[in-house]
Order: sequence, then C-alpha cells, then structure tokens
Amino acid sequence: MHNIWTLIQREYLERVRTRSFVIFTLLMPAVMAGSVLIPEKIEEMNSGGEKHIVIVANNPQLATAVGQELSASKAKTDLGLEAGTFKPTMYTIRVDGDTSDAENDRLRQQVSGGQITGFLWLTDRALAERKVTYNTKEAADFMQSGTIRSALRTAVTKQRLSQKGMNGPEIDALLTPIDLATIRIEKGREGTSGTTVFVTALAMVMLLYSVVLIYGIAVMRSVIEEKSTRILEVLLSAVTPKQLLAGKILGVGAVGLTQIVIWVTFAILFSVPGLLAARSFLGEVHIPVGGMIAFAIFFLLGYLLYSSMYAAIGSMVNTDHEAQQMQWPAMVPLVLGVVLMNSVIQHPDSPLAFWLSIVPFFAPILMLVRILVAQPPLWQIALCIALMMATVYGLLALASRIYRIGILMYGKRPTLPELRRWLRYAG
Amino acid sequence: MADVVELRGICKSYDHFVAVDNLSLGIRAGSVYGLLGPNGAGKTSTIRMMIGIMVPDKGEVRLFGELFQRGLLPRVGYLPEERGLYKRMKVLDHLVFLGCLHNLSEVEARKRSLAWCERMQLSEWKDKKVEELSKGMQQKIQFVAALLHDPDLVIMDEPFAGLDPANAVMLKDFLIELKKAGKTILFSTHRMDQVERLCDSICLIDHGHAVLEGDLGKIKASYGKNHVQMQYEGDPGLENCDLVQSINNYGNYVEVRLKPGADAQQLLRRSADRARISRFELLEPSLEEIFIDQVGKNA
Repeated sequence: MHNIWTLIQREYLERVRTRSFVIFTLLMPAVMAGSVLIPEKIEEMNSGGEKHIVIVANNPQLATAVGQELSASKAKTDLGLEAGTFKPTMYTIRVDGDTSDAENDRLRQQVSGGQITGFLWLTDRALAERKVTYNTKEAADFMQSGTIRSALRTAVTKQRLSQKGMNGPEIDALLTPIDLATIRIEKGREGTSGTTVFVTALAMVMLLYSVVLIYGIAVMRSVIEEKSTRILEVLLSAVTPKQLLAGKILGVGAVGLTQIVIWVTFAILFSVPGLLAARSFLGEVHIPVGGMIAFAIFFLLGYLLYSSMYAAIGSMVNTDHEAQQMQWPAMVPLVLGVVLMNSVIQHPDSPLAFWLSIVPFFAPILMLVRILVAQPPLWQIALCIALMMATVYGLLALASRIYRIGILMYGKRPTLPELRRWLRYAG
Repeated sequence: MADVVELRGICKSYDHFVAVDNLSLGIRAGSVYGLLGPNGAGKTSTIRMMIGIMVPDKGEVRLFGELFQRGLLPRVGYLPEERGLYKRMKVLDHLVFLGCLHNLSEVEARKRSLAWCERMQLSEWKDKKVEELSKGMQQKIQFVAALLHDPDLVIMDEPFAGLDPANAVMLKDFLIELKKAGKTILFSTHRMDQVERLCDSICLIDHGHAVLEGDLGKIKASYGKNHVQMQYEGDPGLENCDLVQSINNYGNYVEVRLKPGADAQQLLRRSADRARISRFELLEPSLEEIFIDQVGKNA
C-alpha cells in the first residue's frame, strides 16, 4: 500500500505541477466561455443603431403597417431571450410608391453605396406570387431578416383579417402566440425543460469522452516513457508490476478528476447567473444531482476500462509512433459510442438503445446519455454497471499480465501469437 | 552464517531458449562476488530472479537465509544494466521518490538524499531537472538511488558498462568502501581485469550453466602454477619441447604454458643448458585465460 501511494503521489504531482496542465485547465473554460460570450458581445455591439429601410409597395397602407410592426418589434428577437442585453434598433422607414424596374436599380445602388440598409420589394405582384424580397448587404444577419419576416407576416395577416371584417383588438387577440414548452417528467414530477436536458446531456458526455480519451492516452504515454527511459527495471526492484500499473492508473485518473472538478466549478460559476436570468424561458432549472452521480460512476468505470487497455498497448510498443498504430482497439469503441449517441438520444427507450447501452465499451457514453435524457429502469442501470465492473476487472487482469511481460521486452512489437504466449508466461 | 544469496538449481527458459539451466551458487556475507560470462550467458536473467523481477521455472532463491519474499527487498539495492531516470523530474524529488519506494519515510529519504548530493558534489544540481544533467552526473544519481536505503546486499548488473574513466574509478572506490562497511556486493561483468582485482569469489556462467564457482584464489590455485615467464639470451630451444603446451615468443622474452603434469624445474634446467637465463618466473593463470579456456572448452 505504501508503495502504491508513493507511485500515485509521484504520478499526480508531476503532472499537476507542469505548466501545460495549468494552462490547459485554465484555458479550456476560457475557450468555452469565449465561444459563448464573444459572439454575444459582437451581436450586442452590432445591435442598436439606426437602420434605414425603404419599403417599396403599390399599397402604401400595407407598407406603413409593415413599418409600424418593425418599429414596434424593436429588439424583440425570435429567440426572445437576451431581450434585456440588447439596445433596441431604431428603424427609419420610408415608403416608396414607385415600383418600376428603374427604381429597383436605383435602390440597389443606394444599398451598395450605404445610403440605406436595405429595401423591401413589396409590390402587389410580389405579394400575389407570395415572394417578397428584402435586399441588403447584411444578408447573413439572420436576426435582422427574422425580425423583418415576422413584421411582414403580421402586417399582411392583419391586413387580410381586417379585409374579412375583423377589428383591431379581435385581430391582436387572435394573433397572440401560443408557447410550446417541452417538460421532462421525472418520477412523475415535472422536471427540467427539454432543451436544458439535451444541452446538459451533450455537455456531460463530451466532457466524459474527452477526459477519458486524454487521460487514457496519458497512461499509455507514461508507460512508453518509462520503457524508453529504462527506469522501469529500477522501479521493478522495489515494486511489483501490478502496483506500478495500479499507481499509474489511479494517479493519472486523479489528475483527470481534478481537472473535471475545476471545470465543473468554473461552469457552475459562469452559468448560474445566466441560468437564473434565463429562467423565464428555460423553465424551472433543476441541478441534475442524479445525473452528476451517474456521471461520476460512468466516468470512473469508463476511465478504468479504457486506461487499462491503453496501459496494455503502451507496454507492447516502444515509441509513441508505434503506439499510434496500435491504439485503435481502445480508440474505436470510444468513438463509436459517440457516433451512436445521436440515435440513442432520440429514442432512449428503444430496444436498440438498451442493447447498445449495456455493452461495457459503449456504456460510459450511451448509458449515461440514456440516464440523462430518459429514465431507464433501475435494473438496466444495475445490469450495465455490473457488466462494466466485471469487464473492468477482467481487463485489468489481462492488462496487468500483458504489462508485466511487455515492460521488460524491448525491440519488436509482439504479434498476436506472441501476445498469447506472454499471457501464458504471466500466469 | 548463512549465505546472503543462495541459488539452488534455478532454471529459466523463454519459449525454446534456455536462459538459465540448473544454476546454483552461494554468496558469503561481506564478500565481493563477480558474476562472469560472455554476452547472452544468462547473467541478467539470474540477477532478475534474485530480486523477484522474474520467477524461476524451477529451483529456489534464498536471500539472507530465507526463501525469497518481497519483504526482503528493502535490504537489497539494485542497479540494472538498463538504467534510467524520469527525465523531467527534479533530482532531489527523484531521489526522495526512489527512497520512499524502498520503504524510507519521506523525511528520512530527503535527509539522506541531501547528504548524498553533498557527498557527490551534486548539491547545486539538486533542483534541476534530470534531463539538464550530463550523462556522468545521471550515472552518479543512479548509483545513489541504489544505495540510498542503505541495503545490506548491493546487486549491480554491468555497473562499469558505459562509464567514463573518472566515474569508473569512483564506482570502484565505492565498492571498496561498501565492502569495508560490511556490505555484500554482487556484480556482473564481462571484463576480467576488474573481477581479478575486486572479487573474492566468482561464478563463471556460460549458456546458462555455472562453469566455475567459488573462491577466486582457490580456483586459480586449482589451475596450478603452470605459466612461465622467462627472459634469456641465446636460443633455449623451446619450440619442439615435449613439456610445452603453447608458447608466445618475443625474441629474448617468452611466455610459456606448461603441459599438464610437466615440471617447471626440468624446463629451467633444459633451457639453462642452451641459453643464459636472466629471469625465470612461475605464475598462476590470469582469469582471462581461465575464462577463455573454460568457455572455449564448452563451445
């Protein structure tokens, strides 16, 4: 025990103290926060200001109505979430009755010249063809075109309804939108909204996937380093290969766990104010405690499973280059799990999802997804965990046998029959 | 007193290759023991079995009079032939780590590491990373690592291989010092001159067998004084002499190996009849000659 502890300590401290660990750990939340905050900031900077829009129509009444709807919509976006953070856009509307082609050309030049933001071609013909065009340089601004589209639709609908003889208040009442909220039922109680569930599940699975992959490979490289620096035999005079393997897997795993804890703490600190602010449209936000426990269990089992495979691979090769060619047995199932996740997330209770999710190699990703997005029966979760534990046990035993022989073998990488013989010696 | 290391009929084979075949030997407490043999003779396999890195297929290993068990390993210091260090660890951290693995407390390991660094003139390097050190300095650290926990038995596999002359002298002085302190030392080598000067006992291994084993003096004595060095003027006429096994003639100086049972006095009388003899000396064979003789016989 004393020895394993010493090994874990070294493995942990030597990694956590490196500059690359500190940088990576701090940079990752910065990158994640940046990828959310920076576009938002740009949007915020672009919002507001004035937009000059020319509405070309045969019917000046309709054109005015569209203009009013636009001015009224202000910064109310389709998503409706960041309502508070945006400065309202001021619209300057000019109604133009000239629907000739020459006018069209002239307006195009004004758009190119920057005198106007854009013009809406709302002629009777365009309406009849149900194809109105909005010409602008900022065609990629989907928020902008969304605002104009909804203003146009509302104005046209209102006009048609009033032609049918409805009055203003009647029309407004009719047009009030109805919200659809998807609510997840957890144990008969109302849970989190569908969007939140999906986003949380995706984030957790990607976190698990990347940390298992990064630290599985770290275990492999560390085995290769010990082989190539020839320190292994020095260590073996004091500890057994099993202790060495255990110390390595646990020490590196502890580093991964540290990183996750730091990242999750960052994520909570960053997202709590946002979530509280967005409660209005996300619905009641629950901290997914069950999900976090599931994450912890499947992270640990998944890490043990894959890192023992990586350790065995590391002990069979001599260089990083060779290892890259050999790491597919560990890489393929992990990636396949992520690929299959898409269909499991949509039909979490299908028989296919069940069978895939109890395969120990896929379980860390697929069973976790099922737990996060649906409520698989407890026996399925228990069966899955039991299968994983058995597999982890078997793989560790296998890996430690390969490791025991492999670490003293230099030179040529073993063929499959040679590998079988290794397993026999180690017995 | 029981032998510090005792091997009884150990065997080890890999696939169809027999590395060690029914090898027995005993190492006296406080002695310097040389494990000799050509490359691939089974020296490293034998050593690995002594410290439990490998388990013999057959036979038993006894350390300090007990059947091998890992609990005895803190009393053994091991310097493997393929030796290395973690390149990115700091020197002092590395020594403390290895000390802790040999059952020292961290405080004790740190204290001893600092003392050793002082002694090896490594103090100013103790906070540097291993990769920043020269190869010679790394070798010093490896020796220290093997001795840090003050083992009773020191096992070194080819310790002189790859050392520069200064470090080779340092290592030799070390071994002598350890011997004076009552430690038992086992080292393997294929360089005979070191063994001849340093060892009390030897085991000569070839193809996994012990060809010769025991006290170096006795082994030499058993070969008898069958070598003659002679300085002369004239022609002693040794070329076709029936007493001579082989001859190496330098003109007025000759080295002669006598046939088994031949009398050196008879050779002297015969030579003196024909030439003026200015020096005549009877010698034991060198270990190298014994080695070549034995290995050649088995080849």
